[in-house]
Amino acid sequence: MSKVSLTVNGKAVSVDVEDRTLLSSVLRESLGLTGTHIGCDTSQCGCCTVHVDGRVVKSCTMLAVQAEGSDVMTIEGLAPSHDASGATLHPVQQAFSECHALQCGFCTPGMIMAVAGLLKDTPDPDDQQIIHGLEGNMCRCTGYVNIVKAVKQAAVTMRA
Amino acid sequence: MTFSRLEDRRFVTGAGRYVSDWNFPGQRHAAFLRADRAHARIVSIDIEAARAMPGVRAVITAADTAAAGFRSLPCAAPIPGKGGSALLRPERPVLAADVVRFVGECVVCVVADTAIAAQDAVEAIIVEYEDLPVVMTAEAAVAAGAPQLHPAIPGNVAIEFETGDPLAVAAAFEGAAHVVSLDLHNQRVVGSPMEPKGCLARHDPETGDYFVHVCTQGTTGMRAQLVATTGIPDEHVHIVAEDVGGGFGLRFNAYPEYSAIMLAARLTGAPVRWVASRSEVFLSDEHARGVSSRGEVALDAEGNFLAFRFNFLNDMGAYIAPTGPVVAVLSIRACLAGVYRVPAAVANVRLALTNSVPMAAYRGAGRPVISYMIERLVDQAATELGIDPVELRRRNLIPPTAMPWKTVNGLGYDSGDFPAVLDKALGLADWHGFAARRAEASARGHLRGIGLATFIESTGGGASPDEVEARFGDHGEITIHAVSHSHGQSHETAYAELLAAVLGLPRERFRLRNGDPAVRLAGNPTGGSRTMHGVGSALRVLADDIIAKGRELAARALEAASADIEFHDGVFRISGTDRSVSLDTLIERHAGGPERVFDTRSSARTGSTFPNGCHVAEVEINPATGVVSIERYTAVDDAGNLLNPTIVAGQMHGAIVQGAGQVLGEHAIYDLETGQFLTGSFMDYAMPKAVNVHGLVIADHPVPTPTNVLGVKGVGEAGVTGSLPALMNAILEALRPVGVTHFDMPATPARVWGAIGAARSGEGRRFAHA
Ligand code: FES
Ligand code: FES
Repeated sequence: MSKVSLTVNGKAVSVDVEDRTLLSSVLRESLGLTGTHIGCDTSQCGCCTVHVDGRVVKSCTMLAVQAEGSDVMTIEGLAPSHDASGATLHPVQQAFSECHALQCGFCTPGMIMAVAGLLKDTPDPDDQQIIHGLEGNMCRCTGYVNIVKAVKQAAVTMRA
Repeated sequence: MTFSRLEDRRFVTGAGRYVSDWNFPGQRHAAFLRADRAHARIVSIDIEAARAMPGVRAVITAADTAAAGFRSLPCAAPIPGKGGSALLRPERPVLAADVVRFVGECVVCVVADTAIAAQDAVEAIIVEYEDLPVVMTAEAAVAAGAPQLHPAIPGNVAIEFETGDPLAVAAAFEGAAHVVSLDLHNQRVVGSPMEPKGCLARHDPETGDYFVHVCTQGTTGMRAQLVATTGIPDEHVHIVAEDVGGGFGLRFNAYPEYSAIMLAARLTGAPVRWVASRSEVFLSDEHARGVSSRGEVALDAEGNFLAFRFNFLNDMGAYIAPTGPVVAVLSIRACLAGVYRVPAAVANVRLALTNSVPMAAYRGAGRPVISYMIERLVDQAATELGIDPVELRRRNLIPPTAMPWKTVNGLGYDSGDFPAVLDKALGLADWHGFAARRAEASARGHLRGIGLATFIESTGGGASPDEVEARFGDHGEITIHAVSHSHGQSHETAYAELLAAVLGLPRERFRLRNGDPAVRLAGNPTGGSRTMHGVGSALRVLADDIIAKGRELAARALEAASADIEFHDGVFRISGTDRSVSLDTLIERHAGGPERVFDTRSSARTGSTFPNGCHVAEVEINPATGVVSIERYTAVDDAGNLLNPTIVAGQMHGAIVQGAGQVLGEHAIYDLETGQFLTGSFMDYAMPKAVNVHGLVIADHPVPTPTNVLGVKGVGEAGVTGSLPALMNAILEALRPVGVTHFDMPATPARVWGAIGAARSGEGRRFAHA
């Protein structure tokens, strides 16, 4: 067992974990942040995507102990106002809803975290960059058509 | 107005609640030991070491399920077999007792304090097997001398169906000027919803009640199957479900794991949760399609269709899944001759057992099997007879003036204007501009092809009426209960918008509960594109029932006869006066209190509807790499009236890309010698990605159906029913100039490149399924 201390959505936390425990398990099981989803066991689907120190990371592919001392942001921490009744959403969340870029919603948190990261590095992506940027995230419902649309809309909002 | 769904906020903020998100105090975790071979006798199972592992609470085997009185998982045939024959039912245990019949079949269930501890204990179990010979394809299963899977099913054929008139067909073929035939294989695929299946069960020893949290498409069917398997009385089985991360037909049936988890909860006296890994999903979710077929069409000298004859051989896997026979036969029976005037047709469907995962529904559920067969056969006929494929179709389409149409096997289509749908699609796709686009592609060294499909499908009629219930809360909120479960179909929004429009209330007043065990309703799971005509019709009745109650109350409030009260835009008014009271006011005054006067349960019963469409696909192939790129895709659909066109377009996008996934790469492959599953992860199984479909145009040509009050036909599956044939017709059209005459899905780069090479070198022109 090891003790891991990290910041999650702006809050300092400390948990005891087995060495083999994944970051995704800490988020979901220890901290109850179930917005980070698990869709595969081979690092393909991207449902578990979070930000670690501002970079896009698949939390199923990082050991919790590797996240020692880092600053983690999950889907629950993305919107500027955290309280559930607040109307504020992050522009990517807003665009996903307005463009109907989600159906069952299971891929959505990971997809949104990946897109938020993509737009940080590439504020004005073209189609190819979007397609490349989404390569690590799968959606079975939408056919990606409206997801690509949402990325473009969010990019415009965020540049304004 | 900007689009948004009522369910969106929860999903985009991570607040959705899927099975793996539920937690209860004292909860334990389960893991399964699965068969690591395809066909073997179980000699012994040693669970002692596992039992002694830290944190292990229970190790459950077939001995325990037998002691609990568990029975075979249920299965049935929707219609009698040929000559009135019955389905031969294989015994399917929850945990394998004597024999395992596919890789991934559950053998032992371990419960421990953590999921990791349960998994560790699974690895400490030792099973000794004695291998038996395996049979991995339907063709091999029905061959003489094939290994036998079940004593009750000699020859491995569970049932044979026939629909249509074989004698009339034989006579038509006798006198035909032309006969064209085509062998096709519709390959096995894995539906792969993004949420892996899971189950959490709680047992209350005082009452005997079980609360079962599962991924479900609707509680009624699932509860009935759990009751049939476990023998626990219906009133003690309560299914709880909130958000479900995709289903596509795979979340309809009660998987054996669910019954095992119920037993685990009782034996350990604790809530027990199990969530499948993606590897387990690949090994144990129902697979789909897997159909070998032969189609023949007889034509007269002018190209009029005289008869269709189809033979289907279905790989059903090692057991018959509850929905397996439905998927295999009902769509073929309902749309045997597609959109065509054909005087005679017959189809024969045989269900064969193999050492693989049981087969059931996946998006389309048989619809893309018959549409693929018919539409590829029509293109084959056009090619062989030298008739333009559009012209051949046009010559044979059922004209709108012939509606309602009695189909060749005695069923019927209620409405549709197939020629208009075709024309609109050709126009939007710029069919006539294709030659120039092909010339331009060929100047770049690429092969370009265009293809179309004119198709029809039947939506699910439903096994029972659809009941809905409205409960009026104390804070103005109105909770709607229904069975048909949303796993992405936007029910929350669609239902609320439908009711809001009729009742003149804001849609935000409505919330939806699908899987609330406190409210037991009759109804059908989501499937067969039926929810809007089934539940939607019931909601329309519900709204009328609420208005009728309101009218009585308004009459009292306004001191008028109820016959004199009209309702418009949320307001009751004495006709011809300005004396009025709003529904909202009446709800405020009367909905509360012990009588709950506005609480209402209503129901409707609808039959099948017949969505139809014309899809046109245009592809380009780079012959140097074999990569197929979908350059344009035009879908024109008659789904009847559309309630929310954005949601409808979303359903079309998803289904078309799922079709593109099967056409371009998805293929569930077992090793033919060992029965091991070779495509068991997202690294091996080619899921469609964002890059797959360019230039997607979705349009509609609605012909409202008279068969339900809303005039809706259904949109869940048309995308895939159209895209399999349209895309493959386009790909073959691109390949014909280099000499390829036949191609089975999937059109992976390697297979396409191989086909081009073989055709050019004169080695072979037909590229059939391996
Ligand atoms: S769960 Fe992390 S990539 Fe699939
Ligand atoms: S919305 Fe269902 S997987 Fe993406």
